[in-house]
Amino acid sequence: MNLQTDKPWSSRSVGAPWQHRFFYHLIRRGGRRPAYLFLYPVVLYYLCCRPELRRRTGPYLKRRFPAHGRLAGCRDAFRLLLSFSRSLVDRALVGLLGPQSLNTEFPRHDELKTAAAAGRGLIILTSHVGCWQAAMVYLSLLRRPVHLLVEQEAGNIDRHYFELTGRENPFRFINPAGFLGGALEMTCALKNGEIVCVMGDRRQGNREKHLTLDFLSAPVKFPAAAWKLAAVTGAPVAILFPLKNGPDRYRIELADIMQLNPDQARPLNRLRPAMAGYVKALENISQKEPYQFFNFYDMWETDA
Amino acid sequence: MPDRNLHRQLKEIIIAELNLEDIKPETLADDDPLFGDEGLGLDSLDAVELVVLIQKHFGVEIKDMEEGREALTSINALAEFITARKSESEGS
Repeated sequence: MNLQTDKPWSSRSVGAPWQHRFFYHLIRRGGRRPAYLFLYPVVLYYLCCRPELRRRTGPYLKRRFPAHGRLAGCRDAFRLLLSFSRSLVDRALVGLLGPQSLNTEFPRHDELKTAAAAGRGLIILTSHVGCWQAAMVYLSLLRRPVHLLVEQEAGNIDRHYFELTGRENPFRFINPAGFLGGALEMTCALKNGEIVCVMGDRRQGNREKHLTLDFLSAPVKFPAAAWKLAAVTGAPVAILFPLKNGPDRYRIELADIMQLNPDQARPLNRLRPAMAGYVKALENISQKEPYQFFNFYDMWETDA
Repeated sequence: MPDRNLHRQLKEIIIAELNLEDIKPETLADDDPLFGDEGLGLDSLDAVELVVLIQKHFGVEIKDMEEGREALTSINALAEFITARKSESEGS
């Protein structure tokens, strides 16, 4: 059984290969500052000349800022796209110049280490918030194999930071379009006491099991796979948000570590309280850092 | 060669533990696919539970995707896998 590929979103970069090379060159020669500077005309270009990209910011921004008119909406779109572009530069920065190029603080890191060391496996639930790839650097400190459930779209030229290092990838990819959606690989990894990172805010396809919960006052289908895994395997779920809090600074917020019970595995609706906790945390983040939420598609769209 | 009782036992456990209320063991053929739109129609999340159930009821572990890909195709494949693993552990 293969995962459905009928996703309403794409993770493919909108930039051309030469644009990516240009920014990598800037970063190598001058670091963050010149790359950030060049983002302004690039983002303005996309905003003014690529209306389909601006439209992709609409579903989220209209719900986050329902009272904003046209002018404020343009400003919001600019800020969101600029923030997103900076996160991409930060990701490349870490890959090209090393983890020390960003100052990352993680106040509750010890709690995550303790959870990982307990031997039951650990599910790290991330979201399209901040720069989650840069936060991956911290995971190597947990001294356990880390598996990322990531679909590598064909033709995508975006590079994860570790692909830019030229060194061996410290993480192992699990393909959600592979055999049984990667479920078997994730289960085996967790049973071995290893770490699995999953995005909690996007389904991999319209057939992926989900629960519908309100996010920004309207229903969204959130994927249930990670939660089901947690209930069945006994692995705790750690909800992480890596937020940018300065030009070269990130703060990783550990919103919660949840332990689910086996009796929450079935029926699916028993996962609702735990998933609601995650959605509430995600909503808090969108309130606190509205321009660091990077789902550029209509999460609220109902399926046909 | 797997014991035929094992096939029956597997069907009963899968149906009971995965709450497949509309399915009876006698209607499930031993070589029906477990996953996908044909056969039993289990999905990827059911696979997670199935791996844990097999370990719980038979003390046999599916260690990785390669083992799972072979073992989880049908009741026959699962029974053969369990029988082979038990023989290995009894022989060692």
